Amino acid sequence: MNKTRSFILVLAALVLFLSGCAGFQTSSNNEEANKEENPEGKTVIDFWTFWGSEIRRPIIEKIIADFNESQDEIEVKHTYLPFGDVWTKELAAIAAGDPPDVVINDINATALRGQKEQAMNLSQFLEQDDISNRFYPELWDATLYEGESYGIPFNTDTRVLFYNKDAFEEAGLDPENPPTTWAELEEYAAKLDKKSDNGYDRIGFYPLWGVGYDVWLLNANGQNYFDEQNNFQIDTAKNEDVLNWLKSFKDHYGEDVINSYQAQIDSQQGHPFFSGDLAMIVQQPTFYTQIRDYAQDLNFGVVELPEYEEGNGHTSWGGGFVAEIPAGAKNPEASWEFIKYLTDVEAQTYWAVQNFDNVANIEAAETAAESTEFTEDGTMVYQKAVENMEHTLLTPVPVIAPDFSSLINPNMDEFFLGSMTAKEALEKSQKDVESLIEKNQ
Amino acid sequence: MDKTTEETDYLDSADKLKSIGKTNENPSFLEHRGNRKNFLTVINFFLLAIGGLLILSPLWWMVSTSLKTMAEVMSFPPSFWPENWLFSNYLRTWEAAPFTRYTINTLTITILVVIGNVLSNSFIAYGFAKIPFKGKNILFAIVLATMMIPGFVTLIPQYVLFAKLNWINTYYPLFVPAFFGSAFNIFLLRQFYMTIPTELIEAAKMEGANHFYIWWKIGLPLTKPAIATVAIFSFNGAWNDFLGPLLYLNDENLYTLQIGLQVFKGQLSTQWNYLMAGSLIVLLPVILLFFVFQKYFIQGINLQSGGK
Amino acid sequence: MGKKRLTMRRKESIYGYIFVLPWIIGFLAFTAGPLVFSFAASFTNYNITSQMDFVGGDNYQGLFTEDSLFWTSLWNTLYFVAFSVPLTTIGAIFLSALLNQDIPGIRFFRTLYYLPAVLSGVGVYMLWMQLLDPGTGMVNLVLSWFGIDGPNWLFDPDWTKPSLIFMKLWSVGGSMLLYLASMQGVSKNLYEAAEIDGANTWRKFFHITIPMITPVIFFDVVTSLIGGFQIFQEAYVMSNNGEGGPANSLLFYNLYMWKQAFTNFNMGYAMAMSWILFVIVFFLTVINLKLAPRWVHYEGEEK
Repeated sequence: MNKTRSFILVLAALVLFLSGCAGFQTSSNNEEANKEENPEGKTVIDFWTFWGSEIRRPIIEKIIADFNESQDEIEVKHTYLPFGDVWTKELAAIAAGDPPDVVINDINATALRGQKEQAMNLSQFLEQDDISNRFYPELWDATLYEGESYGIPFNTDTRVLFYNKDAFEEAGLDPENPPTTWAELEEYAAKLDKKSDNGYDRIGFYPLWGVGYDVWLLNANGQNYFDEQNNFQIDTAKNEDVLNWLKSFKDHYGEDVINSYQAQIDSQQGHPFFSGDLAMIVQQPTFYTQIRDYAQDLNFGVVELPEYEEGNGHTSWGGGFVAEIPAGAKNPEASWEFIKYLTDVEAQTYWAVQNFDNVANIEAAETAAESTEFTEDGTMVYQKAVENMEHTLLTPVPVIAPDFSSLINPNMDEFFLGSMTAKEALEKSQKDVESLIEKNQ
Repeated sequence: MDKTTEETDYLDSADKLKSIGKTNENPSFLEHRGNRKNFLTVINFFLLAIGGLLILSPLWWMVSTSLKTMAEVMSFPPSFWPENWLFSNYLRTWEAAPFTRYTINTLTITILVVIGNVLSNSFIAYGFAKIPFKGKNILFAIVLATMMIPGFVTLIPQYVLFAKLNWINTYYPLFVPAFFGSAFNIFLLRQFYMTIPTELIEAAKMEGANHFYIWWKIGLPLTKPAIATVAIFSFNGAWNDFLGPLLYLNDENLYTLQIGLQVFKGQLSTQWNYLMAGSLIVLLPVILLFFVFQKYFIQGINLQSGGK
Repeated sequence: MGKKRLTMRRKESIYGYIFVLPWIIGFLAFTAGPLVFSFAASFTNYNITSQMDFVGGDNYQGLFTEDSLFWTSLWNTLYFVAFSVPLTTIGAIFLSALLNQDIPGIRFFRTLYYLPAVLSGVGVYMLWMQLLDPGTGMVNLVLSWFGIDGPNWLFDPDWTKPSLIFMKLWSVGGSMLLYLASMQGVSKNLYEAAEIDGANTWRKFFHITIPMITPVIFFDVVTSLIGGFQIFQEAYVMSNNGEGGPANSLLFYNLYMWKQAFTNFNMGYAMAMSWILFVIVFFLTVINLKLAPRWVHYEGEEK
């Protein structure tokens, strides 16, 4: 019995000792945070990101180290927090009045966060230091609420069509002439299909793997559901046509085939495109890094999204992240200095090249596209991605009805499951969203 | 005979109590004599073995993924056996983040939470189960009610509260509340205390014992299995807690294992092999603990340690 | 004599308060404030950061009259609770009965069956998404051995909730632990007496074991009911983008509340939702408590 007791005591003492008691120091920790300065008299900036992986972390930390060395007033401290949860925590910290100084957040909800006063209005800094022309206009516009910016674009993405050149060759298609219209896409897909006794050895193309129906609607319409006056329009003849076209693929391959592949893709392991079981797929350009790492031998090409019909435009869809200053942050000037550095050409180029990621800074993106650090394939994909930015639209969350998609998606599910017609699904969506807007007004 | 390390004093004292109360000895309800018993045992054994295989087979996927290269994980269709058994993945996983530090941190919090829960809940539950007092039913209803409000809506005000206490970036918000009881555990232990015969307590009172003494000397030992259950549940809860540490800790040196595991989950792709290896490593102590701890509620029918 | 009894009772009361005092302190210090706040804010348009104006019962009224997703989510949750609570309870009792025996390797088996309850996090849900893959998943593979053409599980709105219930059954190990602990308290004498009367195994199980563990069955039913209404993570991870699809079939109450609170920042609205849920669950729990004396048997109870 004494033995047990002493063991527990030793254990407790050991644990306390090893933890350095850091988790038990209240006052000192907080004093430090409130002082806003480190011993050398520098202003300390708390920077929260979700970049904790072995690949991303060293890159962002190198950028931070470069910034810290570039001047002697500000010291940036990086904290990794898991994706998604970082924003829950940010919100709690804002509510408690002690937020971090800079946070990487979703670009599409920036206006909403501006409206709710979660993010700081940056126009005071932009008046003296207008950096808006560094970025793709579509990205910049997404950060605006009532004409004022609440976050500075950091990185972005777009959607392009990846296709398997060997499969093209095998099916008698020209690997250098990928489909450019929906009609061609459908035709090529049928040619690329390879049937076997018990299903498919190869699927030509299924439009709803990699992206949702909304990207195809965007592609066909060349614009978002919401116009500048917040009018919502989804119930159109064209959209009905688009939906029926999408559904025709499901009818073509059959429910079971689609579900089985879908489950595999959803599990985020083992992608049929890597193994040649799927000949074409719409993906972000960064999909290339997975091909590079997991399917080195794949002979693939990349092209902009086909257009609805000739001359309709190759509109694509994108998103991205901004660097924002949470409302109530203590050192906005120093934070602004850091954000400027973060979104300037040097840091952005470094990020773009090292991560193979699309960046918001135009000059940096174009410099990266010429980078000699990429392989031939890498350069091909990256250049296509940069080119594609001119067709790329964002879908910022409408402040008037931030959750409108939760009213549309179930109807679309019903449509694809066959329990609603396209017309019914669109009509119901139109009606539901309109009443939501009315309710919120 | 060595006492197992997890054993604490009040659990030991049960032995002395055998003269007061009933013992926990409990045979199988299937116990029979002779062939029939053997036959049943065999049937049950196979039933359990088959069920066990079904339970385990999903886990094989975790193990197998943890031993593959990422290229193999990403291959389609998925392979059942790893091509090469990369045990080095476990080492790489451990080195991908300061996991040793995280283990110590997690252990610190967990031990405190378990101690807090075991002490406070058994004390509080005794009050609710065995002492009549005015307003007891209303108070107990409030205890239960605290379980019914989803945590999301109190998350922000609670964070603000702990911020006001200057407890952000410390372990206090994670373990101090455990010392004041939790509804689930209070309710659980109350149910067990309710089954202690009132005569037993009356008898002790006749001999001049007060409630503290009765709780310590009769209540605790007789509810040993339940307390072991609370300890195991609390250990699990604290060990696997993700949102709590995430919200309240800002300094990466204070992070816990569950936060550490998240580094393998990227925004676009996940390093499944390391994530699975990490999950299995994190799982191990919990399983070991259970394996050892279960003897507290399985006394009397212990085949393996026949010498005990 | 009478006077002495009175002081005795008062003395008892004081003891009672001392014993529950830690909980009262903890409740007042950590829980009461946030609860009161969330109740008050449910009558406002609180959005966490910039507004908190009194709107009366608008949130409640809006939920009941204008919000079809509220009703969808409530229905989904009730469906889940109605099936998962009885099934997991029965499953756990059955399992613990099997595991409460003198069988070689029993410690190993117990650990094995407890294992799924310990596993948590996204990995497990991803694992299940793979197992439930309609084409190549293990579940449908096993079903096909018996000539059953398995359903589309997570892709068919009619099967999504059964999928989650199935998953819950896999991890009944937690409740099993409770029942095992409780079965330890059943006196050996009772079984011996029954054996002398010639009772067989099943008779002993239903007439001794079950009645003796009713306090814990009651506990398990009440807490899994409360817990069932809070289902969130499974649906959040296992539906596309955490939206509760397909066709809103996994839009559970807490998932919808989460979206309102943390994606739309309608925290006041979410708080109103939480209090409606509270009333529902509280009501069901009270029914449970009222019914309890009819079937829950406390050995220690004063007759």
